[in-house]
Order: sequence, then C-alpha cells, then structure tokens
Amino acid sequence: MPTFTFDAQVTSAHFDSSGAVFALGDGSVRFEDRTFDAVHDGAILCAVVHPSGDGLVTGGDDGRVIWSRKGEAGVLATAKGQWIDSIDASAETKLIAFSAGKTLSVIDATDAGFRRDFQHERTVSGVAFDPKGRRIAASTYGGAWLWYARIAEQKPTKLAWAGSHTGVAFSPDGAFVVTMMQDAQLHGWRLKDAKNMRMGGYPSKVRSVAFMAKGRLLATSGAQGAVLWPFDSSNGPMGREASEIGFDDTTLVNLVASANPHSRLAAGLADGRVWVADPAGQGLNFIKADKGAPIIALAMSPDATRVAWADEDGQAGVADL
Amino acid sequence: MTDTRIPVTVLTGYLGAGKTTLLNRILTEDHGKRYAVIVNEFGEIGIDNDLVVGADEDVFEMNNGCVCCTVRGDLIRVVAGLMKRQKPGAPAFDAIIVETTGLADPGPVAQTFFVDEDVKAKTTLDSVTALVDAKHVMARLDDSKEAREQVAFADRIILNKTDLATEAELVAVEQRLRKLNPLAPIIRAERADVPLDQVLGLHGFDLERILDIHPEFANSVSGPAHGEAGHVHDEHCGHDHHDHGHDHDHDPGPRGHDHGDDIKGISLSLDRPMNGVRFTAWLDKLLGEKGQDILRAKGIINVEGEDKRLVFQAVHMILEGDLQREWKPTERRWSRAVFIGRDLDEAAIRAGFEDCAA
Repeated sequence: MPTFTFDAQVTSAHFDSSGAVFALGDGSVRFEDRTFDAVHDGAILCAVVHPSGDGLVTGGDDGRVIWSRKGEAGVLATAKGQWIDSIDASAETKLIAFSAGKTLSVIDATDAGFRRDFQHERTVSGVAFDPKGRRIAASTYGGAWLWYARIAEQKPTKLAWAGSHTGVAFSPDGAFVVTMMQDAQLHGWRLKDAKNMRMGGYPSKVRSVAFMAKGRLLATSGAQGAVLWPFDSSNGPMGREASEIGFDDTTLVNLVASANPHSRLAAGLADGRVWVADPAGQGLNFIKADKGAPIIALAMSPDATRVAWADEDGQAGVADL
Repeated sequence: MTDTRIPVTVLTGYLGAGKTTLLNRILTEDHGKRYAVIVNEFGEIGIDNDLVVGADEDVFEMNNGCVCCTVRGDLIRVVAGLMKRQKPGAPAFDAIIVETTGLADPGPVAQTFFVDEDVKAKTTLDSVTALVDAKHVMARLDDSKEAREQVAFADRIILNKTDLATEAELVAVEQRLRKLNPLAPIIRAERADVPLDQVLGLHGFDLERILDIHPEFANSVSGPAHGEAGHVHDEHCGHDHHDHGHDHDHDPGPRGHDHGDDIKGISLSLDRPMNGVRFTAWLDKLLGEKGQDILRAKGIINVEGEDKRLVFQAVHMILEGDLQREWKPTERRWSRAVFIGRDLDEAAIRAGFEDCAA
C-alpha cells in the first residue's frame, strides 16, 4: 500500500484516470506517483476530477480555479478577492460549476469563452450537477436553488427549507436532491413534486454523503456507524428507517465514499481507522486498522477497487481492495 | 494535553471608533506572530495581506430549539477554510481576529465559537474587545442599540481618541460604560495605541481565568462604591443625555424619556455560603427564561461544603460552569456574580440570588 506523509492539511482525495490524487492546504496537487503541482497561492478549498477524467480542477482561497495535470497546470477561471468555496464537474456535459460567495459560476472545459454567473441571496455552500450535467443544485441558507447550467437568463427553482444547508448532492436517477445541514441532519426534496424529506437523528454534523448500489442506497457519515438511507423506490426514504453498518460507539464516521453503481462502501473514522464493507456481505474490512488522527479525506476509485485516505496529521495512503 | 486550538479575538465598535487603525497596527507591528484577520469590508484595511479575509455577517438561527442560538454562518465557513492552511502539528496562525461592523450584534459571533462543533474543535474564543470613540460614544450609546450591546458584551473596552475629549468628558463616559458593563476593564488610548497584550490573549471566556469579579463596579441598589459612578444617568438624576450637547429632540433614546440605558450590569454578592444545587437550578432557570436578554454573565460562587470555587460564565443561554481552584486560606470566601443584559429585573434577580443561600 503506497503511503504518503504530507507537510500540509489534505483538503480532499480523488481518483483521476492515472490513480489517486490529493488536494492540499498548501495549494498543491499531489499525484500517486509522487509528481506534484504547486498551483494555488494559498489553500485549496475544494477539488473535483476534471470532466475529461484527467487531473483535478481545484478552487483556492486565492480566488482561482485551476486545472492540474501531471506537470502542467492552467487557470480556468477567477473570482477576484474571493474564496472558491465549492466545485463540481460533469463528465457528461464537460461543464464545471463553482461557487464564490453568493455567486455560482459555470464554465465549459471545452470552450474557454463560456461562462455563466448566477446570483443567490445568501452564500453558496455547495454545488452539484445532476447526473446528466444539465442542471446544478446550489445549497445555501434556507434551502437549495436549481439552475439550468447553460441558460444565461433564468429564474431558479427554489427548494426552500429553513436552516443552514452546508452541502448538496443529486441522486443518480436525478429524482432527488439531498442537502446536509448545519444542525446534524439531512434534508431532501423529491423534484417532481418538491415534497420534503427529513432525515435526522444524527449525533454529529454530516460531512459527506455518497450514493451507491445503483443509487438504491445513500450512505452518510455523522453517526457511530455509516448510515444507509433507502432510495430504491419513487418515495425515496419517506416513511422508512435508515440502517447503520459498522456501528462502534467509541468513535464517529467522519467521511464515507462509494463508487456508484458499485455496492462497496468506505468509511473514514474520527479515530483514524478506515474500513470497507459491502452492505449485503458480512463484516468490515479494515484497510487502516491503526488508530490515529481523524480521517479528513476519503475517495473510492470509479471501479471500486481502490480507496485513498488522508488523516489530519498529513498521513495518507492508497489501498487495493 | 496542550490546547492547540487557535485563540480568536473579536473586535467590535461602530464606524470611526478606530478598529481599522488597531487592526493595521496588529498586522504591521513587529511581533513575529502570524494573524489571520476576518473583516467585513475589503479595502478598509490599508495593507496588503493575504491573511485578511472577507466575510459577510451571515447570521442565522440554529434549528436546535434554542431560540437565541443565532450564529454566523460566514465564520463557520471562513474558519474551516483557514484551518486548511494548518500544517500537521503546528497551528496555522497565532490568533484569528474577527472584525465586526458597527451594526453587528456580538452575540452570534461569540455563540458561533460555542455552538458549531467544527469551529469549537479548532478554535477557542479568547475575548471580545469593544472600541469606543471618546468624543462620540455618548451620542452612539443614546441612539444605537448595537453600540450599547457592543459595550455591554465586551471583555475589554478601549476608550479611544481620548486626546479629543476633556478629562471631565472621559470620566463621564467611563461612568456610563461601567454601568453598562461592570466586568470589562476600560483602557484609555489615543489612535488605538494600546499594547497588543491588552487586546490579544485575554482568556475572557476561560473559566480557569475567572480570577476576580468586582461587584462594586456596578450600580447596585446598595449604592455606588466609586464616587458617583452609580449616579450618572440614573433613573432619578436631574440631567439627561441632552446635556452632552447632542441634539436628540426627535429621538427619545433607548428607553423613551427615562434616562437610564436599557442595558445595564447587575452586580450581586453574598457573604453567606450558597446551596450549590439550588444555585445551579436558579441559574439554569434564569438563563432559560431571560437568556435572550442576558448578554454576558460571570460569577464566582462559594458553595457550602465545597473547598473549590464554583465559577461560571454565560453568553445568552450558553452556560459553562465548573469547580475551579480551591479557596485560599487567607482569601475572603464570598460569592459574587455579574449579569449584563437588557431590561433585567434587578430586584427579582437579586432576590433569587440571595435565596440560594444555604
């Protein structure tokens, strides 16, 4: 198992076409073969795999959006004097969406001249493309706003729910939008009728969510085990209970990662351990059994055969399953 | 285990009080420290520094059933971003300084550091310092609820631009500030020239550092101890705010035509030991019912049958309390507490406090 010791905080872990990639708080992008690009003048705040599958697109506190491949990097967009707080990309439409303050911006990886800027009433905390890459959900205080990615003049669809929403995800079938909330719960909407779904009961803030198993399950962090919500019917989890795997009341699941449509789930714990499990199978496979600093970055490769993790002390690794 | 959390200092004060001057000094003085500064308007800070971060005073209510639990969402976001610069094993900054606008309510700023689990894990609120301008503070206190709250909330008050006021004016200002906030020391300054150790590293919210509380600073029914400190702006005094030369004919001030500030500090003390259970129940009930109006509270309690001092501090409904060090043999063993808030029923609070005597 390749391991790494970074002299900086890891913002996030990813798998691009070449292998594991880490985005760091010192502004650098580190590839699994130990090549790296020092790209941002400051910290990387968010990152996503480029729509081509090659390299990372990162957003920094220097107001830049930068595409890093091994040995080369280029600025794709800027937001002067602002932080790039969140980012997503669509391999389908090759669009990249990012937020800076109250603005959601969309650029096209295949057309340097294309840019759309959409304004919100409050700061945008998270952005997510729908599976087709045509619509974007932006989470903010008071709910989530839906935008058509390419249309310049439009009125967004507002999905309102009181409270502070800190991140957002689309279900793989495009039927549901789910947000993480400041006060330790999830909120969801079924788009066809804007019906609300409350998913609560967490002892801690939910930092990550991951759809898996052909979109039939939504795995989340924020509890003593990984929480699984059923999304296998048109009602989503409405009126149904969540299940939990890997329950351990001595710690919390900090992060989850999956690779839809696969059924494998990875969980990074607050006590530094990392496990992988198949909800239909038996037991947990600890790929990092040593306790240590909290896991703060976790990713599963698209074919669900590898997991990359990093802890708060800059220790990181890539495991083959 | 040493506390690796980064201390946070909040600077409040209305426009022109000298916050920017103080911030520029903090950033440019040769102190070998690394500070991150969170400001609300870019461009006010005169120097180019990549660790000056903009924020947008995004106040929201938590959905946790606590009616006064408003926090600053922008601070949660910015603190999380700043922490990404942290290197393993070493804090990214020696301190974080949050500047608020003149209209900001310091409550949500402070509460953010107690309520959000991520912010709480990485940072610790050190203190809230209010800057006031000696020449104009009286008028601001008359016409601005926010100005009164900023003074009342502070751990320390910097009375700035003292060179622009007479000694008599300064004394009058200090008396009024002390009535609003009997807990905070007042430091005189010109051009915000206070030593930085009077602003940073104060441990204003640290229970271990609650060393002493001076109830005589407050106006109490038993009479002011500091000359006429309790006399100025008293409900029954003969003059009113108009005496300070400001024209407020169309603005009746904070409490209509009576002349006290709506906010004041209430100082309580008791020589008899207190019943710990009864005191805790009373304090919980008081904060539960009046927490929205109570900006700050601090106390050192002499609990019957307990060798250690019970100390507490509260921000609105957020209460922290613990047994601290032992009473020293030579120390006067008495209970004292200060509650700073708006429209507080002093007689009822005093009666409730004294009722907790063992």
